Amino acid sequence: MALSLEEQSFADRTITAHAGRPGALLGILERVQEHHPHKFLSSEILEYVAAKTDVPLSQLYSVVTFYALFNLEPQGDHTICICRGTACHTRGSRSLLQRLRLELGLPEESEDGADKLCMTTPDRKYSLRTVACFGQCALAPVVEVDHAIFGHMNEQTLHREVEHLTKEKKK
Amino acid sequence: MPENISIRIDGEYVAAQEGQTILEVARAGGKYIPTLCWLAGTSSVGACRLCIVEVSGVGRLLPACTTPVQDGMSVTTTSEKLTQYRRIAIEFLFSERNHVCAVCVSNNHCELQAMAQKLGVTSVRYPYAYPKLGVDVSHPRYVLDHNRCILCTRCVRVCTEVEGAHVWDVSGRGIRSMIVCDMNRPWAQASSCTNCGKCVQVCPTGALAEKGFAVDEMVKQDHNMTRLTARRGGHS
Repeated sequence: MALSLEEQSFADRTITAHAGRPGALLGILERVQEHHPHKFLSSEILEYVAAKTDVPLSQLYSVVTFYALFNLEPQGDHTICICRGTACHTRGSRSLLQRLRLELGLPEESEDGADKLCMTTPDRKYSLRTVACFGQCALAPVVEVDHAIFGHMNEQTLHREVEHLTKEKKK
Repeated sequence: MPENISIRIDGEYVAAQEGQTILEVARAGGKYIPTLCWLAGTSSVGACRLCIVEVSGVGRLLPACTTPVQDGMSVTTTSEKLTQYRRIAIEFLFSERNHVCAVCVSNNHCELQAMAQKLGVTSVRYPYAYPKLGVDVSHPRYVLDHNRCILCTRCVRVCTEVEGAHVWDVSGRGIRSMIVCDMNRPWAQASSCTNCGKCVQVCPTGALAEKGFAVDEMVKQDHNMTRLTARRGGHS
């Protein structure tokens, strides 16, 4: 899949805007990812950015795999983020995660060693992610739905929020 | 002009210059400090934690390869405590990947193996992780075996700083860290690789090796034998 001219010119403009600034790479990649409708960095765009910024491919790949912020897979329209921090874990975030997985029909993935989990439904409607902590432990368990924080979640309230998203979509 | 200073290594006064690291000063003075990730001519990263030393007045152990010397510093390079921590570092390296010396290309030419013997590591106290890792055999001359990699980043540094190609880098982080080629492509498809083989030469273990030396790659040249035995069989 080749890059569209629009994507190329956006990347060019972003690179020019950040030119010569130390540590510009993160900013460029963040903008480029945000610009994509599915909020991810394709290998084509990464190669394009590498060529334009003179950053070695391996270094670029190293950067995008180090930061959890960058997605290498297309993301869903809605993002549901479940906190797996200690406070949220003790208040049952594992069962929330399990429940949502079943509801969205996502496969079981072993959590051993994996600090971050990121899965997207095949229809690209929902992305399910885990984070280490939102810093809102008093509200545990915390779930973030499309950048809005919800505290004291249980399976019913989480189900309601997801249902709400589905209805909004139909409208 | 860097200032001349004086430090103590294991009680002996050693002349040093400002900006030098403890390791450089110790090596120049003929003192041995074990290292695995350190590589002459490239930058130091302090990845292997084998060169840890005690500096009096500092509560924690410091890596000699990245700690600059300071005037009046007193360094201890060998002690019971240091040996213990160095052994732990080696044991962690062994438990993290699949280091099976008996079937390794680098058996008896391995810096990790030699270091373990030197430090008297006879067993690993931690559970082995047994990760399922791949082997990249795409390159016509070389092999990359992730099972043997200790992530010392010597290959990354020699490729970037000496060869100037920057084919290698480390992807991911923590236990998921992996050496990658370009954009996580097979080695043969790396457009930036010059096939110079520097990475293979500096790899301390059997992670990067030349093809044709693995245990399973030995070929018996027995066609002469069979001809001779057949002839003998015909006479008798």
